[in-house]
Amino acid sequence: MSDPMAEIRASFFVECEELLESLQDALAAMGDGEYDGETINVVFRAVHSIKGGAGAFGLDALVAFAHRYETVMDAVRSGQVELSPDAVKMFFNAADYLQDHVRAAQEGDAAPEGADECLQELEVFMGMPMGAEAEEEVSDFQPMGLMLDLDIGELDVGETVPAKETVFTVDFTPHSALFVSGNEPLHLLRAIRGLGALMDVSLDIDRIPDLDALTAEQSYLHWKIRLAGDLREEDIREAFDFIEDVCDLGINREAGEEAPLFSSAGPDTTGQNPSRPADTQPEDSSVAPLTDSANTAPPKVMSSPANKPSATSGGAAGGQKSGSEPSPTVRVDLDRIDRLVNLVGELVINQAMLSQSVTESGFPPNSAVMTGLEAFMMLTRDIQDSVMMIRAQPAKPLFQRMGRIVREASAAVGKEVRLKVEGETTEVDKTVIERLSDPLTHMIRNSVDHGLEMPEQRRAAGKPSEGVITLSAQHRSGRVVIEVEDDGAGINRPKVLQKAIDKGLIAPDAQLSDTEIDNLLFLPGFSTADQVSALSGRGVGMDVVRSAIQSLGGRITIQSEPGKGSIFSISLPLTLAVLDGMVVSVSGETLVVPLNAILETQTLTGADLRKLGPNTNVIHVRGEFVPLYDLGAELGYRGAMETYEGCIVLLTAQENGQRNALIVDQIIEQRQVVIKGLQQAYGHIPGVAAATILGDGQIALILDPADLVQNATGYTRSDFSLAG
Amino acid sequence: MTRLVLDPKLDLSKVAALNKSLLAAKGDDLEIDAGQVTLLGALGLQVLIASAKTWRDSGQTLTISPRSEFFDEALELFGVTVDDLQSTEAV
Repeated sequence: MSDPMAEIRASFFVECEELLESLQDALAAMGDGEYDGETINVVFRAVHSIKGGAGAFGLDALVAFAHRYETVMDAVRSGQVELSPDAVKMFFNAADYLQDHVRAAQEGDAAPEGADECLQELEVFMGMPMGAEAEEEVSDFQPMGLMLDLDIGELDVGETVPAKETVFTVDFTPHSALFVSGNEPLHLLRAIRGLGALMDVSLDIDRIPDLDALTAEQSYLHWKIRLAGDLREEDIREAFDFIEDVCDLGINREAGEEAPLFSSAGPDTTGQNPSRPADTQPEDSSVAPLTDSANTAPPKVMSSPANKPSATSGGAAGGQKSGSEPSPTVRVDLDRIDRLVNLVGELVINQAMLSQSVTESGFPPNSAVMTGLEAFMMLTRDIQDSVMMIRAQPAKPLFQRMGRIVREASAAVGKEVRLKVEGETTEVDKTVIERLSDPLTHMIRNSVDHGLEMPEQRRAAGKPSEGVITLSAQHRSGRVVIEVEDDGAGINRPKVLQKAIDKGLIAPDAQLSDTEIDNLLFLPGFSTADQVSALSGRGVGMDVVRSAIQSLGGRITIQSEPGKGSIFSISLPLTLAVLDGMVVSVSGETLVVPLNAILETQTLTGADLRKLGPNTNVIHVRGEFVPLYDLGAELGYRGAMETYEGCIVLLTAQENGQRNALIVDQIIEQRQVVIKGLQQAYGHIPGVAAATILGDGQIALILDPADLVQNATGYTRSDFSLAG
Repeated sequence: MTRLVLDPKLDLSKVAALNKSLLAAKGDDLEIDAGQVTLLGALGLQVLIASAKTWRDSGQTLTISPRSEFFDEALELFGVTVDDLQSTEAV
């Protein structure tokens, strides 16, 4: 189904994402008190561009919503209405609904409920209820330059009140290339009709030859379209956004003086000729120069290719407000990248095999073969890193989504919350970002619901009534650390402890450290909220979050200080495609244990071992007893051994700080391995995260120590054999 | 009288074939069935207008009937009437 229209439509929605992102950025800046013209313009342009594109595809509901949003923003821009923190919040809400509208348009769903009400509230709040456009257009519009203040009188008809009649004549001559590029004037005319103006379209039939002289694919078409109503020139211009280089376009405003506002298809405003000749040049194609008034007007902000985000991807990093120079980017289908990632994975495996056979061939270390191989290995590593970087994306879109969660959640529980975002340009693997959305949403909701106090409690505690949640991302020692920090009351440990006891999760006399108490939150079914709120507290909380994080190879930890707040830290691998692992051998099998799980390795002596119960052992490590697990027995390779004296253990740490000792026969090496998922073929295998292919072509399982321990028997006494 | 049933989707990919069919139908009265048209693209429209001219010049009738809703809506958007697509002799 290579419908060119569908492709263009898809790319429109991708652009919408980018526009929404810049909209959120600018609103966030406004939220920080930046009410400068450029920030406001960014908001305006983003909404305006969405509207323009939507019009071209006949997405009427989206156009209507964006139009009203834009109208209010326009009033802000022209200084008719003042911005305030509350107003910014409402703009944020409306932006959320705009996003819903875009989604609905994309999915073909009905317009989101509550969107109109939200806009109405905004309009009322800004003192421009229904028909505000009327007032708005009376005064001079500074930045637009296109909105000339013609006073034709105000009308009052129905719900959308046209302020004044502006009449535009549009000369539209599609080139043949317009059709070749998959565009269709029919859709365009429909979009123009969607602008809500009275439309009079006439096709110059005389230009079309008779059948004998006609070349079917060549365009002989020329339309003259008159539009009358509450219109702005850029509304019309937007409708032609996608096709301006494959048509001739002249837009003239008729009212008052005969002043062509701009003349050519191209973005130039020099008033020179139309940028390219048409197949059939309309004789009345307007080429008159701009009027003085237009020339002296401030820079136009109409959507021209210069300020319209082009078909380039995010490149969002950093460019918050500058917006002028998008870094050159290329959009690539994700499948292609994944294929490349896979191929590089194969390359790494192949290189490992080659390196192994070269080593076995006994070449001297400084031989040409060995140095060549080393250079090859370094190159492979560089290629691998670079390829992984392609999959990396800034955390920003994810963080922006959380902004919305905070707004919604705080409104639901009546708390004042501000989201502070740090390190949003930190790049994370695309899959990680996608799969992080749900757990992070839950964590943010938790912070709003449980972490922060009600405004009156905060004031009583000498804090500002507005709570702050800080969401940050950073790279730390080869991992990505994402933190959700709140300045709330901190974890109420006595309450948590009591709850755990009440629920029978721990023994009543259990002596737990602060960290251990905090970690009780991760127990399945644990919920500290006295009442189940609409927001959280349904008992599906943090344990689900933790398992989601773990399934990404990550860890989650809590730090909390009473009265000061809590920090939930998620530590994630940079990529899900490779992993630094320790290659070990157990009962003749080669296994890989993720390096980040290993604290230290040790050779056991008789003094380290202690018996515990009838069939388990623990080891004594620097004053602490650590449970001992025999990997060979747990994985069913063999039974428990007679003695573990002299055996090698890997001391591993879990997210909750609990340590375990895993017995292996031999540590072979430490290396980076390419992860090959088993999930699709075998489903979840307890204790096994994935597999990899080693240099000698052998397949090795990659263990998930935390999961393994959770499912382990812990039998390490020889009288209990588990083999078979 | 020749009868020609239009393709439901008259866009760039179909206009050459339509042009050819119409050329082949020249010299006879023609009734075009636009009842199944779901998309009348501008190039399709152009071919139909050109045909109307040709038929008019030759004094033969060209009528378009039946017409789908989409077809009529497209005509309206394009700013033409059905008479622009039929020869004057048409009823």
